[in-house]
Amino acid sequence: MEQAELTSRDWYEGFEPEPLEFDVTPELNEQYLYSQQDYDPMYLDDGDGPALVHPSLLLNMSNTTRSPSHNLAPGVSSIHARDEVFFKAPAAVGQRFTVRWFVESTFEKRGRPYRITRATITDENDKTILVRKVHSTFAASS
Amino acid sequence: VRQEEHEMGTIEPTASIGEAFEGQPKLMSMERLWAFSGGPFAAEGWPRSNIHTDLDTAKASGLSTVAASGTQFQGHLAQLMIELFGRRWLSDGTMDVRFTRPVDAGETLIARAEVTNREEADGGVLFTFDVSCANREGDVCLAGTATGIC
Repeated sequence: MEQAELTSRDWYEGFEPEPLEFDVTPELNEQYLYSQQDYDPMYLDDGDGPALVHPSLLLNMSNTTRSPSHNLAPGVSSIHARDEVFFKAPAAVGQRFTVRWFVESTFEKRGRPYRITRATITDENDKTILVRKVHSTFAASS
Repeated sequence: VRQEEHEMGTIEPTASIGEAFEGQPKLMSMERLWAFSGGPFAAEGWPRSNIHTDLDTAKASGLSTVAASGTQFQGHLAQLMIELFGRRWLSDGTMDVRFTRPVDAGETLIARAEVTNREEADGGVLFTFDVSCANREGDVCLAGTATGIC
């Protein structure tokens, strides 16, 4: 089946959704600092080395819903149930990052479909910044 | 001095099991939900409509509220861990959390961490915590564990 024909609910074990590239500008990072109410100087260009990307930006940009392959049928929502996160290295503002996803497993629990998807963020030097295992389930409006 | 502050966290290597830490209360205002989940400020039509930013879109997906992204309050927990361990946490910190309920705009959330284990590791002390985020009424929206080394 072509990627475009799959809804996110159909992603199967071993499936690799389309990766995402994104740039972190100082403006985008500061938008996250506002949303997080966290103005630690290490996230700002204060002359002590490159500003660091706020971890919440990395988490948000590596949600499975960020993959260009993500799509859901009308009335179906993806629910973030559990998250295992491993931080590997600080990320510098001004870089381009790539998120790659890999579906590790799919299963049913109490009649609901679940999926565990590994997300890996690398920077433009191919350094691993973060690895996550995102546990998702799905709900349909009645 | 600032560089040293970035490197150092506030937790003492001698911190004991049962010791608890708390982040600053965070108001989940609609503006902050838009900033987090609405896409870049400069994008045309900002904020982008989705279940985290628009009530009609959320209701069409079967939700009763706009439901803040879980990663938004995961960020609050990350902030608390970085306060404890400094920027090193961005290189070796972990969290394993479950999302237990939707969070609506207007709630105030507080991240908490309680030491449950400490052991020698990697030239330092590896701490394990029970962690949570909850509103002022104590309704938990995130719970699990986190680790850090100091």
